[in-house]
Amino acid sequence: MSIKTMTKEEITKTFQDKFPNKIEEFPFVGVDAAFKVDKDLILEVCKFAKETPELSFDLLACLSCVDYIEHMELVYNLFSFTHKHKIAIKTSLPRDGEIDSVTPVWNAANWHEREIAELFGMTFRNHPDPRPILLPEDWNEGYPMRKDWEGKDFVRLPKK
Amino acid sequence: MVEKVGAEEFLVNMGPQHPSTHGVCRLLLKMDGEVIVDVVPYVGYLHRSMEKIAENRTYLQYMPLTDRIDYVSAMFCNHVFCLAVEKLAQIQVPERAEYIRVTMDELNRIASHLIWLGTFALDLGAITPFLYCFREREKILDLLEMVSGQRMTFNYMRFGGVSKDLPFEFIPKAKEFVQYFKPRVDEYEDILTNNPIFLGRTKGVGILEKKTAIDYSVTGPNLRATGLRWDLRKEEPYSIYDRFEFDIPAGTKSDVWDRYMVRIQEMRQANRIVEQALESIPEGEIKTKTPTVFRPPKGEVYARIESTRGEMGFYIVSDGSTIPYRVKLRTASFSNLAVLPLMSRGWKIADIVAIFASLDVIMPDVDR
Repeated sequence: MSIKTMTKEEITKTFQDKFPNKIEEFPFVGVDAAFKVDKDLILEVCKFAKETPELSFDLLACLSCVDYIEHMELVYNLFSFTHKHKIAIKTSLPRDGEIDSVTPVWNAANWHEREIAELFGMTFRNHPDPRPILLPEDWNEGYPMRKDWEGKDFVRLPKK
Repeated sequence: MVEKVGAEEFLVNMGPQHPSTHGVCRLLLKMDGEVIVDVVPYVGYLHRSMEKIAENRTYLQYMPLTDRIDYVSAMFCNHVFCLAVEKLAQIQVPERAEYIRVTMDELNRIASHLIWLGTFALDLGAITPFLYCFREREKILDLLEMVSGQRMTFNYMRFGGVSKDLPFEFIPKAKEFVQYFKPRVDEYEDILTNNPIFLGRTKGVGILEKKTAIDYSVTGPNLRATGLRWDLRKEEPYSIYDRFEFDIPAGTKSDVWDRYMVRIQEMRQANRIVEQALESIPEGEIKTKTPTVFRPPKGEVYARIESTRGEMGFYIVSDGSTIPYRVKLRTASFSNLAVLPLMSRGWKIADIVAIFASLDVIMPDVDR
């Protein structure tokens, strides 16, 4: 397949044609295009991103979760080896929410989702192996990466 | 999975304290006689909550902590943090600082590959290369100590450049090292590459297909050994890598021997880059001025570099204050370790040691 790196407008248009009115752009430094989707569509959007020949995003570079106190956001950084373009997809969901796991699309998401599930308290449906990964098995003191977690010795710096 | 143990299978614990697990990693092996049926890695013994601490320190206070994410190749961690913040705040880096950064990066790459080669050969039973590699590494650490004052966790790079200029004896000593190192790689190859015992233990062992590697987000020399000639220094040149001439080694059969050969060639290429950088380093400033109270603008950024183990990336969310809102560390070893069970089914315990060592996984990278 020949290399055809798409520009930001072409990528956004391809996604918007397939999922009309569900794609919303937002600014993100370091990628070609970035947009928000609804959380129920995330598995379809990721499948579309991986399997369409013009897009072919076959590398899940990074899966991260950010805690904005009323809601949480999951950010998927995708990259294509054949066409060398990169995008970021974001979804927003309430705390203690549920979302489909994207492990059927990229197996790399397996360990990343395990880490997010135990540190932030999110549930991933249809995950093949939902065990804690970094914290000890008998951890029962809450979800450490949340913004309102109070640990025994955790002292916050004043915000300026 | 571990509950269903067949009639003749048993579980063996290759515990967190073990000379061949390269750090604190627990592997639970499900064995049928001497053959391995499944491997379950248990990680998290070195979890220091680097990401949580980042929400409680200013940007510059976090710089020494980035060294400790991967302490064996600490210059790369510094570099990617600086890259991410400089992209967000749009800070330009002067020429001399870029040349210094590239030199330090590539010297650190050679040092990290030397540790890998020494311990890899030691795991397979060859004790001599271990001492030879550490002899070379001492010379590199002398050079890096001359520049930053530290041997292992440098805290050397700053937003907009580097913190201290090169002392006047650095460039002659570094040029001397580059010439001294060239025949050394041939010395290591003499001992190992065509040795029948080494070939018997590494050829055809632990094969990883290209499709599986891409699916599991394996990057770095492990991915290059599967045949995909992919290196971020050539594909998305950051810093000034587009001015240097170097080759990207790639393997064909992606077994343990291929991964070994890829890293040996990478040491040679890194030496080449250092030689070219030292010839053409210009005079000038080493750091652009940044405000004392550093507040990058609001926004999100993702930056990545080619570190020794693969792609290392930082995802930073900034809310306009002096403390970052969220820092996510995408480390190479976390994704590389996930393919270990796939590669080791059907082999024996001695092969697990070889496969695990060839992946070049380091535990602080996995656990952060």
